[in-house]
Amino acid sequence: MNKTLAIGLAITAILFAAALFGQWLAPYDLHHQLKIDYILDDSGKGYLIAPPSPPGSDYPLGTDKDGYDLLTKLLNGARYTVLLSIGIALARIFIGGSLGMFMGYYGKQTVKPASGSSSWNMLNGIPVFIISWFVLRGITTNSSLSPLSLSLLTGVVLTAVGIPSVVSSVKGKTQVIRDRQFVQAAQSLGAGHWKIVRSHLFPHLKENLLVLIVQEVILVLALFGQLGIFNIFVGGTTMYFDMLEYHSRTNEWGGLIAQWRDLKGIYPWIFYYPLAAYILLIMGLHFIAHGLEAMYKKRYAKFSHL
Amino acid sequence: MPRILKPILAVPFTLLFIFALAILPHLFQLNGGGGLHLDWSGSMSSVKDYFAGIGTGESFRFISGRKELSFWEQIGGYFRTSLFYIAIGALAGTTIGILVGIYFSLSRAAWLKRGVDLAASIPDFVLIILLQSLVIFVGKSTGVFVFKFASISSKDPAIALPLISSIIIPASYMIRSVALQMKLTMTEDYINVAKSRGFSKPHIVFFHALPNVLPFIKTDINKLLGILIGNMFIVEFLYNLRGVTKLLFTDTFSNNGYQYALAVNGLLALVIVYTVVYVLLRIYLWGWEKVFSR
Repeated sequence: MNKTLAIGLAITAILFAAALFGQWLAPYDLHHQLKIDYILDDSGKGYLIAPPSPPGSDYPLGTDKDGYDLLTKLLNGARYTVLLSIGIALARIFIGGSLGMFMGYYGKQTVKPASGSSSWNMLNGIPVFIISWFVLRGITTNSSLSPLSLSLLTGVVLTAVGIPSVVSSVKGKTQVIRDRQFVQAAQSLGAGHWKIVRSHLFPHLKENLLVLIVQEVILVLALFGQLGIFNIFVGGTTMYFDMLEYHSRTNEWGGLIAQWRDLKGIYPWIFYYPLAAYILLIMGLHFIAHGLEAMYKKRYAKFSHL
Repeated sequence: MPRILKPILAVPFTLLFIFALAILPHLFQLNGGGGLHLDWSGSMSSVKDYFAGIGTGESFRFISGRKELSFWEQIGGYFRTSLFYIAIGALAGTTIGILVGIYFSLSRAAWLKRGVDLAASIPDFVLIILLQSLVIFVGKSTGVFVFKFASISSKDPAIALPLISSIIIPASYMIRSVALQMKLTMTEDYINVAKSRGFSKPHIVFFHALPNVLPFIKTDINKLLGILIGNMFIVEFLYNLRGVTKLLFTDTFSNNGYQYALAVNGLLALVIVYTVVYVLLRIYLWGWEKVFSR
């Protein structure tokens, strides 16, 4: 275990814990609201209290424009951000990885390194963002579905759009391993397909798959935020018509950043604290991916001649 | 299948894909009770309407705000804007990617590589928002606004900052993928042979290693363009540029509901942008190959 991996695991573990237990750790209830108030102190001086309150002793990260505690919102949104993104990544790798392994193993063509454009390559050219936007645009705003079912629906959509790239990556790697000599040796010794997949293909792919999972989580998190920019929040959007505003129903972090991006000049804490949480999560995952890669490289890689 | 058939076959598939993609918002309908249902008949009829409308010209009119506009009159400007940014982003991004990628694969400056890797894992929209606030911050504290951070009117668009944003993202992707391939190529035996024959380092890099890396870059074009176009949505939205993607997401869902014809036409325009830039990039990389492979 190297330092990078350890740091990444520590950061991610803390945020994962926040996702699991966040709603019980939150200092306030989600409905607790700081209202406009006028207070007279002992010397007769008056203070006007109006949301948003900057970070202070009452509200560690301050409140948002409507007077809701930011830390509470972040802790409540964490489970959508962390758990859903990891869930989507796992589903993508499970489905895409099995398909890719299957297609790589049974596919007839042998590996042609870098041979123009295959049809799976073309699929990579379609930005997944566009597809998810078209599917979700009509159903997330002021939806009659519950936040949980909308989140699950988003999860299914984001899983589906991410599968092609996983398939093409796993397929390519499988083909390389399939043509290696030890697989041919196993075949000629009479090993069945299942045996080869289980004790030759998968063990050689598992490191790749592990790194791929972590990278997919980062991609999913980016997608959450990008959709948020277009007012499609994970778990649904509440749209207010009187003063046109879009609010995330689940307080998912990517959504919070997108929702408050215009406030960064006026009330910086409202924008920068959610952003910090989001970037921290991405950095934690990035360190894990890098740490794993470094670990495996030490074990397996060849060295540069130059 | 002959190689020449592949691009020709791609046309009907692309068209089919676009019609299917644009129908999705129509297909997924919410009913009042909180359930999701699939509206097949309504979807089919809007596809039929589109084809019927091609003859009458109805499919090429759309509603923007309160006005009804002609698609053909409007698309030119939108198309040029998107093409400009995507083409520059693709060409500059590839060039920077190849050169810096080569440098990264050779240099021992580990912290630099780590920095770029970390920056590349941060989503594009965060980078753009931070870039904007940096310009605003510098502008506020020094009184000098180096760049315009968003377009207020179409006559006076912001150019520099959107351009930087649309170059950074493809470049960072290219840098990493070139550096990775370059490193793998460097482990090959022919590099060792070239070294033992006494060629200089730059010669080995550009005339022995690079020709073997370029094919990988060529296969990566599709992915690069996918990243660019996805990124374009964000760039055009956050900088308020009047490009094709802006047309798609502001006007397809108008007050009168979803405009299927506009979505199809907009996506077609996007595919044309994609194709043009794809061809441009292939020609550009062909030029690199002409120079370095012998």
